[in-house]
Amino acid sequence: MQSKLSDIALIEQTLAGNQQAYADLVKRHQRFVFTLAMRFVKTREDAEEVAQDSFIKAYRSLSAFQGNSKFSTWLYRIVYTTAMTFLRKRRLDTDSIDDEETYIQIESKASGYDVNNVENKSRSFYLNQAIEQLLPDDAAIITMFYQGEQSLDEIGNALGMEANTVKVKLFRARQRLKEKLERNLKHEAKELI
Amino acid sequence: MNNMEEILWNYIDGNCTPDEHKAITETIAKDEAYCLKYQELLNLNKEFMAMEIDEPPMAFTYNVIEAIRTENAQQPLKAAINNRIIMGIAAFFVLTILTLLGYALSHVSLAAAVSHPAPLASNLKVPNLNSFLSKPVIQVFFFFDVVLGLFLFDTYLRRKKVQKEIQ
Repeated sequence: MQSKLSDIALIEQTLAGNQQAYADLVKRHQRFVFTLAMRFVKTREDAEEVAQDSFIKAYRSLSAFQGNSKFSTWLYRIVYTTAMTFLRKRRLDTDSIDDEETYIQIESKASGYDVNNVENKSRSFYLNQAIEQLLPDDAAIITMFYQGEQSLDEIGNALGMEANTVKVKLFRARQRLKEKLERNLKHEAKELI
Repeated sequence: MNNMEEILWNYIDGNCTPDEHKAITETIAKDEAYCLKYQELLNLNKEFMAMEIDEPPMAFTYNVIEAIRTENAQQPLKAAINNRIIMGIAAFFVLTILTLLGYALSHVSLAAAVSHPAPLASNLKVPNLNSFLSKPVIQVFFFFDVVLGLFLFDTYLRRKKVQKEIQ
């Protein structure tokens, strides 16, 4: 059962040496942190590694958290920097992750794989598929805005951007997501015919 | 088209001023194209909000806490030692030395030392320090200092970079 204490109270208890309080904080934020990590690194194994590293880094720097922002915003910034470091290391061996072509390849692979169980798919499945095909930044902004319930300012804080830049990026990300969703649905409709 | 979408997304997100909000509400009511686009984006917005978030593995919290415990257990002795203990030991030695010094000074008879200076033992050899401080020795010493300095500076910069990345 999760603690009903606020994040700040749990942080104070953790700093006083209560590790169970930190376990409660992890339980409270793990789903979203994991989802956000998935938006960047795409596979569950890598996302687990990034999410775990983020929580460990947050624990180490907990005394530096000044409470000027929400704990979640501070934590998402750590997730972002951890994921970026992870991807930078990966990029040494593979193609650029910002390369749209890489995503087109993933996209076509995903479409091919899913043809066999068309009838089981709901619109939310296609939406998740479409979000996986977005660039990491776009996917992260959409996830933070809708699932993380972060304001434009808070997203800007976490990603190190101005709120106006986030607003423009969010608009473009939604457009791309809409296009990919429509494309995936059209592709599946053709397969059915 | 983009402009229309941008306006409508601002309207849906609640990022408009009251005047803009009123104007857009009127436009949606009058203009069919706006109305259709608004319904489309509103549905899309609902779908985005209803998107499910992923579930991490069952043992995720346990793994995080275990990793923290392991890290704490592997902490080097230097970092694990409490500063108070170090200060206590230092205080003990300083106090002992001061007590001994005070005791020794209180028992020294300076007058006797001046009237009868102790003769220097004839077989006592004072080492010649100049022979040890040759040019190569000093160069090696400085080289070591420079390397050590660079190493410490590098460690400091790395630590600062990590801190910056986290914050």
